[in-house]
Amino acid sequence: MIGSSPIIAEQSYGRGLEDLVAGDTAISDIDGSKGWLHYRGYPIEDLVGRVSFEETAYLVLFGEMPDASQLEDWCAELRQWRDPPQAALEALQRVPANAHPLAQFRTMMTVAACHIPEPENTELDAQWRRPARILSWTAALAARAIRHLEGADPLPPRDNLGYAANFLHQSTGRTPSTDETTAFEASLVVQAEHGLHAAAFAALVVISTGADLGSAVLAGMGALSGARHGGANQLAFEMLEQLDGPDDARAWVRDALARGHRFPGFGHRVYKCPDPRVRALEPYAEGLLVASGNEHMWHTYLALREEIEGALGAKGIFANVDSITGLIYHPLGLPVSAFPIPFCLAIETGWMAHCLEYLPDGKVIAPGAVYIDSTA
Amino acid sequence: MTTDVGPGLSGVVAAETRVMWLDPSSGELAYRGVPVDSLANRADFEEVAHLLIAGKGPGDDPKGLADFRRQVRSSRTLPREVVELIRSLEPTTHPTRMLRAGVSAVGCHELTADDDLSGARQWRELRVVGQTAALVGAICRHRAGLRPRQPEPGCSLAEGVLAALNNRPPTADEVRALDLLWVLSAAHGLDPPTFTSMIVASCLADPYYNIVAGLSALRGPKTGGAAEAVLDQLLPLRDPMEAEAWVERTLANGGVIAGFGHHAYRMPDPRVVVLRKEAASMARAHGRRELFEVARTVEVAATSALAPRGVYINVNFYGALLFHLLGADPPLVPCLVAIGRMAGTAALVREALDGIRLYRPLSRYVGPAERRLSSEDAP
Repeated sequence: MIGSSPIIAEQSYGRGLEDLVAGDTAISDIDGSKGWLHYRGYPIEDLVGRVSFEETAYLVLFGEMPDASQLEDWCAELRQWRDPPQAALEALQRVPANAHPLAQFRTMMTVAACHIPEPENTELDAQWRRPARILSWTAALAARAIRHLEGADPLPPRDNLGYAANFLHQSTGRTPSTDETTAFEASLVVQAEHGLHAAAFAALVVISTGADLGSAVLAGMGALSGARHGGANQLAFEMLEQLDGPDDARAWVRDALARGHRFPGFGHRVYKCPDPRVRALEPYAEGLLVASGNEHMWHTYLALREEIEGALGAKGIFANVDSITGLIYHPLGLPVSAFPIPFCLAIETGWMAHCLEYLPDGKVIAPGAVYIDSTA
Repeated sequence: MTTDVGPGLSGVVAAETRVMWLDPSSGELAYRGVPVDSLANRADFEEVAHLLIAGKGPGDDPKGLADFRRQVRSSRTLPREVVELIRSLEPTTHPTRMLRAGVSAVGCHELTADDDLSGARQWRELRVVGQTAALVGAICRHRAGLRPRQPEPGCSLAEGVLAALNNRPPTADEVRALDLLWVLSAAHGLDPPTFTSMIVASCLADPYYNIVAGLSALRGPKTGGAAEAVLDQLLPLRDPMEAEAWVERTLANGGVIAGFGHHAYRMPDPRVVVLRKEAASMARAHGRRELFEVARTVEVAATSALAPRGVYINVNFYGALLFHLLGADPPLVPCLVAIGRMAGTAALVREALDGIRLYRPLSRYVGPAERRLSSEDAP
């Protein structure tokens, strides 16, 4: 779409391509002033808690909600790829144990990507296979990296569990309760697609060269791993974790504001109003924290958010999705350094949807640069 | 900035740079203000990498250059597990995929979970350039079924890669030719691998993630894969007559001649002249004159057919041929290009990190109007 849509007349934009409308898409509609996020026309509030991640992925990737038989086939396709190439799992033994889990995960994925057939089958009947393979391989490899981090043995997938529950089972080693699965699934559903954020844009540049889907996803993962992007949910949680209750949170925020501190998980390039994903996930986070005896943390979070939004809301700075997901992943038993991983598993759906949308006639994405004469 | 946005973001300015200068109307290319013409055959790749990364011209800083050479060369010692990882892959795996896995694994050894992941402080350009060269050498040997061997500690990057490629010490002419190829391809605007690395760097990812992402864009048929395609097309042609007939047939059938056409400019790439000359003399030295004649015939026939449409020869055409004459089979070409390009990308990423904002453009929604799940979907 970005490659083929008619030229959008004169636009002004800033550094980092801020405000540049790079092209057309039929995947998601984001309104940063009204605070809405729609996938293929469906508001996320309508989907969360009502549909599974598998259904959401189908919708985002292929444009419509699946009917019962389509869903059955899609879930079967996803299940079929739950065992990644053995070489990718073994690669973990060849990297140092003290490397960052995201770097270990990346290395396994680069080895798995060696096993994607070349050239990728672009026949229509393979449409499902390519994204399904990536979604299931990445979940299995991520779970393996998390087990490794915890010094635990790998676990085989369980066919009777869906995507979300199976990932929790394979990474934490226990069968999640219904509430846990529902909360985790909600976090995947609301993070399945988000327009041309940096990671999706990186994936799109890669696919525009004619590269395979695995290569595009690896580029997206790179962007997502950065502190300013997917790493932000880890930083936001670490900020919260060092606060001792609501009063401490309020005092700390006031002090930090006076020092001009920036708060991870707050403010967003697109949303200048409350992030709809935060409001959609808060009830699930509260439920899990209360049930796991972490009520204290929930109130600390609320105080932190209210204090920061009270001070900065007038400037359009509100909690973004990275401030809340850690409050779901922590009570589920996922280690903090692995918090970016579920975000990756969800959002890679959107990257692949943009790639599939781009593919038919997209041109290579190759913007220009301004050359500053260093001798002048 | 204001612009008319064209397909593929043509017309959009995505960065400001002092690293290089590229004039799309003349194809003129300069690194840090030094015209590339004046570097070709006069400076070796390590000098040009030093120029791009440190901003110091050849001769400006002899001590800095000597340090640079020592550091970049000594970084070629790869951890044993990384070499084992590469050798655990099927030798038929595409070399760009092996290189990507190797770079990722090297990154796991270079940075620990406790290192600050913000790219600016961790960017280790010098080591990455040397490590990439060493990985490509290890890949060449694995593909050829040879036992692993580290490069001789004091030899140049070009000497080390050629020794791995051909399993013998290179001639002085071969070393000069590989340096020339790398010098000419060290930086060339925001090509997709470079731009991808910059987007990833703008998120403050660790530097090895930047490179893994850039390498993912290296080999699509519309970028580095095109260099590979040049050889896939040229090598089966036996003589000039067959070559001429092939060009005619291919174009009549609406096919593409690899090594022709560029998204940014409508003239022959100026770098072609020196590469053509070098390829001719290397072909003579290696008893491959027939191959050069085939290439020359394809160039002439394709140019006369395509130039009226504004499609001209690009750097891949004789570049790929020269890489092949130096011992590379077609799939190795994108990896060999990547070693040279690593210098320019490293310099651009470092520069970008100083003042960049997260790359985050917008899109215009043209999909279905707002709708709701039907009530029967409700639980």
